[in-house]
Amino acid sequence: MATTTSRRETLLRLLSPVIGFFAAIVILLVIVVAVGEGPGAAIRAILRITFGNPSRTATVLSQAIPLYIAGVAVAFAFQAGVFNIGVEGQYFVGGFVAALVGIYLKLPPIIHIPLVVIAAMIGGALWAAVPALLKVGRGVHEVITTIMFNSIAIYLMNFLVNRPFNGLEVGESLEPQTKAIAETALFGRLNGFFQALGWKIGDHVYLDYSLIVALMVGVVVWIVIYKLRFGFEVRSIGEAIDVSRYAGMRVKRVQVSAFLISGGIAGLIGLQEIFAIRGFYTYQIAGGLGFDGIAIALIGLNNPLGIVFSALLFSFLRQAGYGLQLYTSVPNSVSYVITGLMIIIIVVTNELVVRYVRNLRKREVA
Amino acid sequence: MPLLRMENITKVFPGVVANDGVSFDLQAGEVHALVGENGAGKTTLMKILYGLYGPDKGGIFINGQETSISGPRNAIDQGIGMVHQHFMLVPVFSVLDNIILGEERESTPKLLQRLYLDKRSLRARIAELMERNHLETDLDRPVRELPVGVQQRVEILKLLFRGAEVLVFDEPTAVLTPQEIEGLSRTFRELTAQGKGIVFISHKLDEVLQVADRITVIRRGKIIETMPREGATKAKIADLMVGKPVLLKVDNPQAEPKEEVLRVEHLTAADDRGAMVLSDLSLAVHAGEIVGIAGVEGNGQTELIRTIAEREKIISGEVYLKGENITSWDVRERREAGIAHIPEDRHRYGLLLSFSLADNMVLGRHHRPPFVGPIGWRKTKAIREFARSTIAAYDIRTPGETTPAHALSGGNQQKVIIAREMSADPILLLASQPTRGVDIGATEFIYKQIVEAKLQGRAVLLVSADLDEILSLSDRVCVMYKGKIVYEVARDQATKEQIGFYMMGAEHGDDNE
Ligand SMILES: Nc1ncnc2c1ncn2[C@@H]1O[C@H](COP(=O)(O)OP(=O)(O)OP(=O)(O)O)[C@@H](O)[C@H]1O
Ligand SMILES: [Mg+2]
Repeated sequence: MATTTSRRETLLRLLSPVIGFFAAIVILLVIVVAVGEGPGAAIRAILRITFGNPSRTATVLSQAIPLYIAGVAVAFAFQAGVFNIGVEGQYFVGGFVAALVGIYLKLPPIIHIPLVVIAAMIGGALWAAVPALLKVGRGVHEVITTIMFNSIAIYLMNFLVNRPFNGLEVGESLEPQTKAIAETALFGRLNGFFQALGWKIGDHVYLDYSLIVALMVGVVVWIVIYKLRFGFEVRSIGEAIDVSRYAGMRVKRVQVSAFLISGGIAGLIGLQEIFAIRGFYTYQIAGGLGFDGIAIALIGLNNPLGIVFSALLFSFLRQAGYGLQLYTSVPNSVSYVITGLMIIIIVVTNELVVRYVRNLRKREVA
Repeated sequence: MPLLRMENITKVFPGVVANDGVSFDLQAGEVHALVGENGAGKTTLMKILYGLYGPDKGGIFINGQETSISGPRNAIDQGIGMVHQHFMLVPVFSVLDNIILGEERESTPKLLQRLYLDKRSLRARIAELMERNHLETDLDRPVRELPVGVQQRVEILKLLFRGAEVLVFDEPTAVLTPQEIEGLSRTFRELTAQGKGIVFISHKLDEVLQVADRITVIRRGKIIETMPREGATKAKIADLMVGKPVLLKVDNPQAEPKEEVLRVEHLTAADDRGAMVLSDLSLAVHAGEIVGIAGVEGNGQTELIRTIAEREKIISGEVYLKGENITSWDVRERREAGIAHIPEDRHRYGLLLSFSLADNMVLGRHHRPPFVGPIGWRKTKAIREFARSTIAAYDIRTPGETTPAHALSGGNQQKVIIAREMSADPILLLASQPTRGVDIGATEFIYKQIVEAKLQGRAVLLVSADLDEILSLSDRVCVMYKGKIVYEVARDQATKEQIGFYMMGAEHGDDNE
């Protein structure tokens, strides 16, 4: 009883993902035991796949890159009170536009690579533009339109890769894909740099230029949100639209901008997959990151710094799932169930805490 | 034995001791008023009683038994009910549904009845409650269609239905019309006659003296004195509250109106439901003049101010600022042109509750120098400095400018908005209910500021439900009735009776409104 509400509030907010994480671990062990495996073996398997050697730890980091960008993309819109559920579609489109620039332009790498990044942002932002305009112009709720636009994006990309932009010779591969991306646009790796720093990671790990992109996104977004007038208006509108309107903010304009920026960031999610890993575009570039981004943003409290943590956590959980599958008799499907469950538990715990805090605060308003 | 006793309650928030060894008791059948400055700790004490905060120290006794209260639900189970300033009603539900909401299970214990809600017997019980307490309302009307005063009645019924013996009212009259206040004090008498105890918090000392049996003054978290109503005077209470004599009088020199600043012409507007709220209204306000709008609430005052402050749904008519037609301008353009606005509904329009005081203090000017530099970089230092000096100038009680707005007491939150708008250097100040919820010392200060603004040549349009406020500040009084200005009078010719007469729509012959 001696703790005051606001001290409790900060503490809880910081602790909630940790609480959620441990709750999830406990449940994981329960499930593992239920399918007839020892809890010790499960924990060992998880630690082995994530911290077994430097390369494995680096893989956690590598996988966190697109997750991080996805989280920041969702968070930027959330900050302005916009629910951009369309990150999924936006990165499909952003990646495609970037791939076209990567395939068909002939430029030196120093120009080609930044251009690819910009193209990805433009593609993502364009795909967000219609829902954004429908929202402020016609009052159509963005959750509906962005979900629809996700489907459209996925099938449109499917079509484009199968027909007009199919780059395959007959019989080469079953997976429809574009032509190969030009050498000059491919993302190189930073592994050498990390090795020079004494981190003994293998050459196969993808710590590529997209890591730099992610870092830049994080820093720039943080500055925009917390240091610039625009970010202040974004946060203000996210907190209370009416108050913001009365303060003279142009609510619609700011929300549209935030929506487009969110889409632009979303466009960057696929860069690693397309430009570092595959070297061509396929509509099968890892799906679902846009939805993971929602949970990642929530757990990271919509803050680019918090999202570093939540993206790493997500990546860790994914790897943990693989570890179980690899080193224990936990069946493949169960490991997916566990990964999903852990995410849900963390999101729910976090949401419960946030809600609890919000309630405390509401009571204080009088 | 008192119905309720709170003993030696201490509650500390970061940087403030909100309650410092407070002891407070309530007898059955009395109205006990709790008065004190903004931030003195009244709401905190009541929230502890209602289980919203746990006390750091101290105990609560009900009928002599020590008890602990874990939350609102538990409080009401122990017979303690609270009427919040912002009602906790579901607007689209009927009165009946609102009253039984959450209680319907308890009142129908059998399994079968749990599935089928026996509204008829519930209705009968509520009808009986209404009759006994003279709280008649139409049980089938949706709550959102009811005037504020009736909604408050529904809140009271809700508590009585749940068996409340102690009823806490935190500034219940701030949102009521004078007639509704009359009704509320009648209800108080009914309830106390049945042996219920009432805690009444208000900044309007006249009301306090009218309804209270005992009065407790709290200052900076400490109880200063508890006295019976007999022998208490407004001046004495005010002195005890503030710790120094309060003038309670405004020095308001006659205005010398200069050029016209605001003119609205033939304004006609409808509200969200399409009801006509302004009809062909014209009005002008000059530099160096305070124009007061009197009227029973809901006669279009809110909409009049809104059409001037923002681009409202105007059906026809024009708004001019210094001769320029601003009808189609948005809020930012209007603010830039020199309109400042103290909104009536401050919770909805006034503050970013989770943001710092500093951020709130510059809201509306947050986008321009000196608060932003090149490329829109926010200048935190300038913002904080400005906030600090404004907090000092307006005596806002807070540990500092980085405190979030939600941690301020109700009255201090309002002072933040007033300070912000008044310091915006406006040419036109729109002030809606500027002293609502504000303590007597701060009221005096705000009056001085408004008069000062006028003397500096600003134009002021004042809307207030408080006739005394209108009469002591305005140079010219306009009475609004059903969306029109039905009477206009210069200050030296204004009488309360005459104004009251027109407020009731006298001229139109339907003064039973
Ligand atoms: N949740 C909170 N966190 C931090 N400080 C708080 C909180 N609630 C109240 N306070 C502080 O406690 C003090 C007492 O506040 P309280 O709301 O009880 O005042 P009050 O007497 O009701 O004032 P008012 O007349 O303005 O409503 C104030 O200084 C306020 O800033
Ligand atoms: Mg209060």
